[in-house]
Amino acid sequence: MPNYKLVTSAEHRNHRIITERSYALGDGLMHIMVFPLEFRAIQHHFPIFFAKDPEDGSFYATALLGLEQDENLFLQGDGWAANYVPMMMDRSPFFISFQSSQGNKEKPVVSIDMDSPRISETTGMRLFDDSGEPSEYLLNVVKKLEAIHSGHDHNKQLVKALTDYQLMETCNIEVELVDGSKRKLTGFYVINEDTLNKLDGEALSSLHSKNFLQSIYMCLASYSRIGILVEKKNSLLTPDTK
Amino acid sequence: MQRQVNNIVILGGGTAGWLTASIIAAKHKITPTNSAFNVTLIESPDVNSIGVGEGTWPSMRVSLRRIGIRETDFFRKCNASFKQGTQFFDWTCKDKRSYIHPFTLPNNYAETNLVESWQKLSHEVTFAEAVCPQSEVFDKHLAPKQISTPEYVGQLNYGYHLDAGKFAELLRKHATETLGVCHLIDHVITVNNNEVGDIKSLTTTSREIEGELFVDCSGMQSILLGEHFKIPITKKHKYLFNDSALAAQVPYEDQNYKIESCTLSTAQKAGWIWDIGLQSRRGIGYVYSSAHTTDEAAHDALLAYINGSSKPNNPSPISPRKITFEPGHRTAFWHRNCVAVGMAAGFIEPLEASALVLVELAASTITDQLPYDRAHMEIVAKRFNKDFSRRWDSIVDFLKLHYVLTDRQDSAYWRDNKDAETIPESLADSLAHWKYHPPWHHDNIYASEMFPSASYQYVLYGMGFKTHLEQSRESFKLNSWDIAKQCFENNLKQSKQLCATLPTNRELINKINTYGFQAV
Repeated sequence: MPNYKLVTSAEHRNHRIITERSYALGDGLMHIMVFPLEFRAIQHHFPIFFAKDPEDGSFYATALLGLEQDENLFLQGDGWAANYVPMMMDRSPFFISFQSSQGNKEKPVVSIDMDSPRISETTGMRLFDDSGEPSEYLLNVVKKLEAIHSGHDHNKQLVKALTDYQLMETCNIEVELVDGSKRKLTGFYVINEDTLNKLDGEALSSLHSKNFLQSIYMCLASYSRIGILVEKKNSLLTPDTK
Repeated sequence: MQRQVNNIVILGGGTAGWLTASIIAAKHKITPTNSAFNVTLIESPDVNSIGVGEGTWPSMRVSLRRIGIRETDFFRKCNASFKQGTQFFDWTCKDKRSYIHPFTLPNNYAETNLVESWQKLSHEVTFAEAVCPQSEVFDKHLAPKQISTPEYVGQLNYGYHLDAGKFAELLRKHATETLGVCHLIDHVITVNNNEVGDIKSLTTTSREIEGELFVDCSGMQSILLGEHFKIPITKKHKYLFNDSALAAQVPYEDQNYKIESCTLSTAQKAGWIWDIGLQSRRGIGYVYSSAHTTDEAAHDALLAYINGSSKPNNPSPISPRKITFEPGHRTAFWHRNCVAVGMAAGFIEPLEASALVLVELAASTITDQLPYDRAHMEIVAKRFNKDFSRRWDSIVDFLKLHYVLTDRQDSAYWRDNKDAETIPESLADSLAHWKYHPPWHHDNIYASEMFPSASYQYVLYGMGFKTHLEQSRESFKLNSWDIAKQCFENNLKQSKQLCATLPTNRELINKINTYGFQAV
């Protein structure tokens, strides 16, 4: 069971968060959920695919980080080999939840997973300063959590539009690596360009009015980043020629 | 000039009528601008459809997709559940009193015949357990897929259990609202011939409906093919004795009660009992031979089964409905410009749920080989009749196979079933052949066989049939033990992995009702 605690200055005055990225800290993920508002930054580094939530079968946008389970090709040497960290990764080990006190509107509160290996008392970013005020870092985390919260809604709307216009198709990408082995990317979905190109003006204008068209084209542009993942994987397979 | 076939008139609004109308209309798109082609379905206002045939084959997934119905809608509207095969109880008196006929083919079936290798292991593991993961899936009441699996795709092969009345209703709505089928609720008073003796039109109380092709989906009454054209029935009673059924609906004990993964078929003294788990209730019925038992005894056996398999404090008393039928089919299915589909064409006990699949096949054949004009229709009809006679024969053979292998001696019904006089010659020949060569791809002579040879394997070896290894040593060399061992291991691995990830039927159906499947 996850050990979630509300973040308070009384409880967490001396806690620090290690913000490095590494396998040991739980970043060994093949893909991670992303949100339309960060697509521009994401597509610069990672392919944006869609995956299904195993609980309800719903689609969500996700950035591909590796070519097999538990592989993150952006974890190299001493850190993160990209100049953007997806929000869902960056927010770890924090979560946003909503509390309703009697008669009042639901209020967002920040919790922390106390079992996370990121928590330290000696190194990392402080959550509160000596006087008990939230640190710049914590305020930034809160902003990200709020963006993630609204991002879930954006994702839902985008996905609904994509399925309504039947723009989602199964991803059938197989890459060949330098050692001759192959990796098939299964369980992912991409945007069907043929269907997109056949949409009429009315459909396009509807997609555009909600800013989905931009998101769609960013997804399409991002597919060329698969090449970057293959390059990274190949260089791991042939360390001598580096 | 011959008249082109542009107006198709379907008589009868049960599942047969609406499935046929939908399949035809979905292919030959009827739009307001393409009004040259018409499909009209006439339904009598006060005929209740019989509503048997609550089990389908995997082919129904293809049919539904073809018609353009979403799988999610189908589940939500038809009280539907997954059917992954059949489990037979008490068909033999062996220690293991049950065996299964799953829809998923044996491991690596395209290349490897596992029967002979399995026979060496037959004292430790049943055939189905050794070759197919559905054995364990049935035991655990698991679904054949997950909520994240696209619609109509399965991790295991599956068909459906459904409420036939609700299914006809869903099809009617789709056919009339989306596919452009005309719907007329009226009594047919007369069937009118033209000068050459074809049907020219049907006169109802309100109007006269003309057409070039008439599809008789009027059920057992067979109004056009049977009553009007007097096409007789080829009786199959000699081979398959069952001619009566008592059908009941039994609610679950609670709404979270397990839903079975397959149809349960439990042999009785004079027939067998089907047990079909839908979302909200079970459909249970005893199909029996009236020559071997009385209605009263059948009624008692059915109640004993129901009371033995559910809590006795059932809120509503069970009052089964009696159905009688003459096992057999019309000597011709397509006569002049009239073709019968469904029970108007024939009916046989639902042991392998052949009713709906025959409707699908007939409707698809009519659709895909739609005659251009009356002259062409003669050729299509000839081919159709040949094709479906063959299909009926193979159904009779396959159903009879379930009876001839029994070692039950406890009633005249089972003893009579083994009488050589009651076994079709084609089946007797096959059985003699299978003594030396297990069923294999060469047993499927036609491209479109009713049953894959794997089905014969599941029933034969599930019932304890032995193929003599000594006589076929040569073939065994080709199918080496090493390859077979790999297949058995792969099956075990697959079975383990599926059982670890698949939800139960109840869990998945709840999710379908809440979230639905994605189209891809």
